[in-house]
Amino acid sequence: MIVKRRQMDATIPAMAMGDIAFLLLIFFVILARARDDSHLQWKPAPGQELTRPQTMNASVVIDKYNVTYLNGREIPAVILGEALKRILGENPAGRRTVMFKVHHEVTAVYFEPVIEAISEAGGELHHILKEEKKTQ
Amino acid sequence: MNLKRTKLLVEPPATATSDIAFILIVFFLICASVEPDKGRAQVLPRSEPEKEKDKQSQTIEVELTRTAVILNGNPLTAERFARAIALKLADKTRDEDKIVAVKSRKEVPYSHWMQVTGIIEDAGGVITLQIEEEQTVIVQ
Repeated sequence: MIVKRRQMDATIPAMAMGDIAFLLLIFFVILARARDDSHLQWKPAPGQELTRPQTMNASVVIDKYNVTYLNGREIPAVILGEALKRILGENPAGRRTVMFKVHHEVTAVYFEPVIEAISEAGGELHHILKEEKKTQ
Repeated sequence: MNLKRTKLLVEPPATATSDIAFILIVFFLICASVEPDKGRAQVLPRSEPEKEKDKQSQTIEVELTRTAVILNGNPLTAERFARAIALKLADKTRDEDKIVAVKSRKEVPYSHWMQVTGIIEDAGGVITLQIEEEQTVIVQ
């Protein structure tokens, strides 16, 4: 007796592709937010001849409410230096870049102690500014 | 005569969902990278104790108020300050002579501070901050 072989369906389940892609999307979004400070409200001060830092080892933000954040997390200015020392560790020069993002209206009473703390921790300051066109 | 009705496709085109999702990924990644990341590097020497002050009696002192700059006691506009600081630093050859002590009043905004320190650095000066230390004394 000849048994007829059943024909197998060999199509790829295309419905699953959408699910896989959405999982990837969620993964990337969560990964991006882990070190992100884009939720903070600040407007950069203007500057000219700006450069992009070679490395980025830490990010310090002072938002429009004069609150200081280290890598997106709120931190009191008095313990910022110690926290930065832990993050920067024994990194060699050139790998101690601290991105410093300050709202343009924040006053010296708030940003100067932060600059001092970054300097004390051996951080290499890189002020993040907005490109301003040169007036002729 | 009975005509056979052709079977219509009722299932949504599932292959398109992956395309939509990938376009969303690209959109989110581009949005995430729009944040400004350009700026200006600044080298600040570590803070020194007060005893070093005598050695640096020739240090140029700049005081910032909310809108003005005071160079060695003279209030100046930004343009005049740029010329004056460039003149003062022009004849300095040693790095330690190029130190400019910046003292800011509490109400100085960051944008003004960045503008003035930018002028000093462009003129070849090395910035140090003069910050008044707060001390708490307990009286018994």
